[in-house]
Amino acid sequence: MINAQFPLLSMMLWLPLLGAFIVGLSNNDRRARILAVIFAGLECLITLGIFIDFDGLQGAEFQFVERYAWIPGMHIEFLVGIDGISVLFLPMTALLTLLSIIASWNSIKTLPRLYFALLLALESATLGIFSALDMMLFFLFWELTLPPLFFLISLWGIGAQRRSAAMKYTLSMLAGGVPLLFAILILALKHGPVTGNDTAQTMLFDFPVLLNTELPAPWQPWVFGLLLLGFAIKAPIVPLHTWLPTVALEGPAQITALLTGLKLGLYGIIRFAVPFAPTAATQYLELLSILGAITLLYAALIALHQTNFRRLLAFASISHVGLVMMGLASGNLQGIQGALLQLFNFTCIASALMLISGFIQQRLGTTEAIHLGGLAKVMPRLTSVYFVLMLASIGMPGTSGFPAELLLILGTLFNNPALGIIALIGAILNAAYMLSFTRRAFLGPVVHAPVAKTQDLLPRELAVLALPTLLVIAVGLCPRLILDTTQHAAEAWLRHINPHTNAIKSSLGE
Amino acid sequence: MNGVIAFIPLLPLTAAVLIAFGNFSGWLTGVETERFSVKLTMSSIGLVCLLALATLLNALHNHSLDTPPVWHWLELPDFKISLQLFNSPLPSALTCLFALLLFIVMQFSINYMHREPGFHRFFAILNLFAAAMLLLVLSSNMVGTFIGWELAGLSSYLLIGYFQQRPMAVTNATRVFLTNRIGDAGFIFGLGLSYSWLGSLEWQILQENIGHLTSAQRNALAFSFTIAACAKSAQWPFTHWLARAMEGPTPSSSIFYGGIMVHAGVYLLWLLQPLFEQAPLMMLIIAAIGLITAVYSFLVGLTQTDIKSSLVYATSAQVGLMFLECGLGFWQLALWHLAAHAVVRSYLLLTAPSLMHKVHGSPIKPVSPKLAQLQWAYVASLQRGWLEALIDWAIIKPVRGLAHDLNNFDEHILDRLIGAPLPAIRRISSLAQFREQKLGARLDNDADEFAQGSGLAGKLTQWCATLFQWFEARFVLRNHRKSPITIGRQLGHTAHKFERLILRPRNLVLFVFILLLSSF
Repeated sequence: MINAQFPLLSMMLWLPLLGAFIVGLSNNDRRARILAVIFAGLECLITLGIFIDFDGLQGAEFQFVERYAWIPGMHIEFLVGIDGISVLFLPMTALLTLLSIIASWNSIKTLPRLYFALLLALESATLGIFSALDMMLFFLFWELTLPPLFFLISLWGIGAQRRSAAMKYTLSMLAGGVPLLFAILILALKHGPVTGNDTAQTMLFDFPVLLNTELPAPWQPWVFGLLLLGFAIKAPIVPLHTWLPTVALEGPAQITALLTGLKLGLYGIIRFAVPFAPTAATQYLELLSILGAITLLYAALIALHQTNFRRLLAFASISHVGLVMMGLASGNLQGIQGALLQLFNFTCIASALMLISGFIQQRLGTTEAIHLGGLAKVMPRLTSVYFVLMLASIGMPGTSGFPAELLLILGTLFNNPALGIIALIGAILNAAYMLSFTRRAFLGPVVHAPVAKTQDLLPRELAVLALPTLLVIAVGLCPRLILDTTQHAAEAWLRHINPHTNAIKSSLGE
Repeated sequence: MNGVIAFIPLLPLTAAVLIAFGNFSGWLTGVETERFSVKLTMSSIGLVCLLALATLLNALHNHSLDTPPVWHWLELPDFKISLQLFNSPLPSALTCLFALLLFIVMQFSINYMHREPGFHRFFAILNLFAAAMLLLVLSSNMVGTFIGWELAGLSSYLLIGYFQQRPMAVTNATRVFLTNRIGDAGFIFGLGLSYSWLGSLEWQILQENIGHLTSAQRNALAFSFTIAACAKSAQWPFTHWLARAMEGPTPSSSIFYGGIMVHAGVYLLWLLQPLFEQAPLMMLIIAAIGLITAVYSFLVGLTQTDIKSSLVYATSAQVGLMFLECGLGFWQLALWHLAAHAVVRSYLLLTAPSLMHKVHGSPIKPVSPKLAQLQWAYVASLQRGWLEALIDWAIIKPVRGLAHDLNNFDEHILDRLIGAPLPAIRRISSLAQFREQKLGARLDNDADEFAQGSGLAGKLTQWCATLFQWFEARFVLRNHRKSPITIGRQLGHTAHKFERLILRPRNLVLFVFILLLSSF
């Protein structure tokens, strides 16, 4: 155990920002790249250290907590800490950023210093979202992800309409921020009187305290609805999903990999929306699972009709979001554990597939199926890695997609067999769109001259893809690597939303 | 002994992983290294044969049904999935048979596949298949069986699409996998129901606790597993995938669709024997499915013109008979039938390429004249009963149509309704933008408004912005053609006058009086 006084989380939060400044101010593009990799690598080590040092048995408690006064007049503090739900995402965020930086080594020609600086700043803000325990601090980090993303998409996008896409993304996210802020203010104002503190302390943003005091019943649906709306835009859930396919098509693939890999919206629903208003949430769980079912089927069917790899991946990721929502809403341990495992999968599978699409785009200038075909012959390595990840995304045993999907489907099924059937139909459709795209783009004869002359994965690119692929297989063979870490936090989560009935008993349907 | 059983599926899996990794990293390619793959494969499958035989002998002697779990795969409180293997006679006997068949077919493939470009890939997949099937047969846990079930389907997909450059092979592989996926969904559903009703994922506990279930529950459980069995064993209405599966190399067709995988459904029925025996309705249904498949396959098989297709229909007819036997309660017979058929059909499919050589001088017997004269039957048989067309029409076309409609809805209605902002300045101001426009960005626009947007949110913002701007321009800024500064100055003067007026002492006293009066 590292000395408890050591501000490890603060260091984790500030290091990429420091790196961003140093990289941005360096006078040489090549040096900037190397510095960016060094900082991202260091950050990776720090987060890995936190992950290893994290005590899984005490996963329900917040660990590495740091508390500094920030704006005392409004009781806003710099309060950070992690528990079993969030600890997983720190190393994954750091890893994904590192991979993104290495993947964009050569593909970024204009203003590389600014690009890498913005990426590091984005990493800092994202890690902040996962570790902030003060609601205002959380909201600050939440909004701080927008400026770097706006510039990353609009300046380095690969589509012709990247400006518009960046604007669409930013405006959607700002629109999602408004209900979040309202919900946070309601929470802060309504909790002061309940906690019985003196009148001066009417505003309260401390997440653990807010969590343990019950919100007055009339306010619960409001808070739940507002938080859900805010996070649903980010997740995204149908019908608020339209920004993701646009960004996937227009934005740079490495950045889209971050967007599809880190499901901040789902994290927000798990962390904030449901626990803050448990009574309302249990009341509206049905609604949540129906929303999830609609998202699952709607996005899967549209994905069936996509011809562009990046748009297909965007819809596939939306469809998986639907499945996670269904698992969450099942309110049993299988569902929530499956959801957390699937969130881990997003960071490995969805983002690595997106990086692959970036590599194809860089070589051939397109990811349209009609311009591809027969990639397996000319790019055997890329195809092999793609195959493993594709199989993981359709939930093949031996990859981490299988335990996650199994848990999600079983959780849904225990809760409601009819929804279980929908989840299974979703699984069939998942396989349908992934395999038919594989057939069109990777298999069959080579028909286009540029494809025939293209180059297989370079060692650098292979290294980028190898890590997530190996992780996918390792977790597939031993899902306990992830599940044991989240176990206690997940149980506490269930107890919190369902204090009267034993959560595990209800999962048995008894 | 218990730990040793685990090596039966593990050995081929290791061989598969090694060959696949060697092929991927580049040191296991070409003709020179064929020997390595062959040695690895043959030694692993040979060892598996010996192990299987030892396990069978052991199982016959001491009837301990359970072996300790091999691998705790997934653990939640009260929900544990561990890989656990059977130590009972029948699974061991089937393991023995399958391992032997695999050995023979692998030996056959060495020469058959020699100098093929995908030699190593073929052996890697065949090893994966061996591991999957052995796990399927041996696992005493439903999830373990399902893992084998799914991986067998995957290796079947990979081998049907073995000739990656042939569009037909690839299309068929995709189609077969998706058909099988329906069965997998049935399997998962049955598995989930079993857990939520019986609280266990062990076959044995399911077999022993059938009595606790209501008859509706028994039927539902049996029905979902029947879907899985029918899909895997190519029973009606899934029969058509088997003919599509013949695109792969002959040895793989022999072992997948003649010898082993096609019988997985029958094995699944046997595992659920106690369940079916207490669900008479489902017994009737599987008997009917078996009968329909047998008759259908016989009729379609009569008009097949190539040897592999006619063997395929013979296979599905035989497996249909096994389903019929199970449905009628002759479980023992069905198993004997399975074993005998696996051996014979593997042999027939292996020798299929040399058929011409063998039947030379002894022509195939024509069908009876009575049957031959039925023209409609001939057409129906030739069209394979329109089964595939029917499924296309009933399932695939509507799903595709729905996907098409939803895509249109998403692109043209939902996306526009949610809206997207457009850049505020859209004139071409630089060379870069000119290039962008050439690439397709819509930068030229005659309306140069301050704010623009599309969709509900965008338009609303735009209208509000236009309205406010108009208001601002007409009323606030351009009031009576005076500049805002003049207006401000006038306002200031007026306020100053007002203040001086109020602050005179008599007025102040007056105000105080008024206030006092009004308060009383």
